[in-house]
Amino acid sequence: MLGVHEFSIAEGLAAQVLANAPAGARVREVEIRVGALRGLEPEALLMCWDSVTFGTPMAGAILQIDQRAWSITCSDCRREWTSPVPFVSCECGNATPIPSGSDELDLIAITVDEVET
Amino acid sequence: MSEQTRTVRLPVMRRVLEANDDIAAATRAELALRGIFAIDLMGAPGSGKTALLEATLRALAGRRRPAVLVGDLATRRDGDRLARWCDRVVQISTGDGCHLEAMQVRDALAQLDLDGVDLLFVENVGNLICPVGFDLGQTAKVGLFSLTEGDDKAAKHPYFVAEADLLLLNKIDLAPHLSFDRAGFEADVRLLNPSVPILDISATTGEGLDAWLTWLTDR
Repeated sequence: MLGVHEFSIAEGLAAQVLANAPAGARVREVEIRVGALRGLEPEALLMCWDSVTFGTPMAGAILQIDQRAWSITCSDCRREWTSPVPFVSCECGNATPIPSGSDELDLIAITVDEVET
Repeated sequence: MSEQTRTVRLPVMRRVLEANDDIAAATRAELALRGIFAIDLMGAPGSGKTALLEATLRALAGRRRPAVLVGDLATRRDGDRLARWCDRVVQISTGDGCHLEAMQVRDALAQLDLDGVDLLFVENVGNLICPVGFDLGQTAKVGLFSLTEGDDKAAKHPYFVAEADLLLLNKIDLAPHLSFDRAGFEADVRLLNPSVPILDISATTGEGLDAWLTWLTDR
């Protein structure tokens, strides 16, 4: 087991996907949304996802990670923008704009192959 | 009739860690019912989590009825240290797990007699990243930094800072020997968490511990 929290997240995700997939359906794609605060490493999660789903109906399913950026607000000039990192300077010279990020970690949707008879 | 497959996209919209969150919510309700204030104590390895708890348990002796859950990777050393000051200590061995999860806390609590307990400390695994995203059912998250880690650790761990209900800055007795930019540290904290109290303490000398004990007793 990998000593990273992405492994626990992958395990939680696999359980949540199984709970929401129709019985017997093969899972093709899994979409999640992750807030900037979580500081998630997509590469680590993808690796853990492959490991956790090996030998399950989710094996090989593509994991789409919608990683939200930080919202940055300049307290001097009021400019607002998004950034992959929280601590950035503003064009106006302000070295300490205010970062805000959400802590969401949600399973948005799954795409499955359903067998029709 | 021949079998055909069709590919469908099914919207879900549920939390990934829902199973953990459900257990944490049940723990929180149980602790509230018992009137137990529960702290998830998080901090880096060597920041002084166990030393802080030792000093805190010593100071609270006879005044509060605390219990302690202590997460430790591989040893019983932290639990043994704390058992000198508290008769209700449960060690949670995490193996190579980098954080505690709600199920481990629930199972450890089941090993404790909680009658009369009014305060619960959960010492998380030494780590500034992994523990933050896992709800344990705590009442408050306390983040412990120390001067020896350097003044950039708040900026480097935004989730840790943003989620904290209280931040403690330990080892202030070492300030004369270190170039720690205290104002810069606090400025980084304020950008991420404008209202969190920051208390300067030394678990070793006892400096600043009164403010921490007051914060505890005001809960």
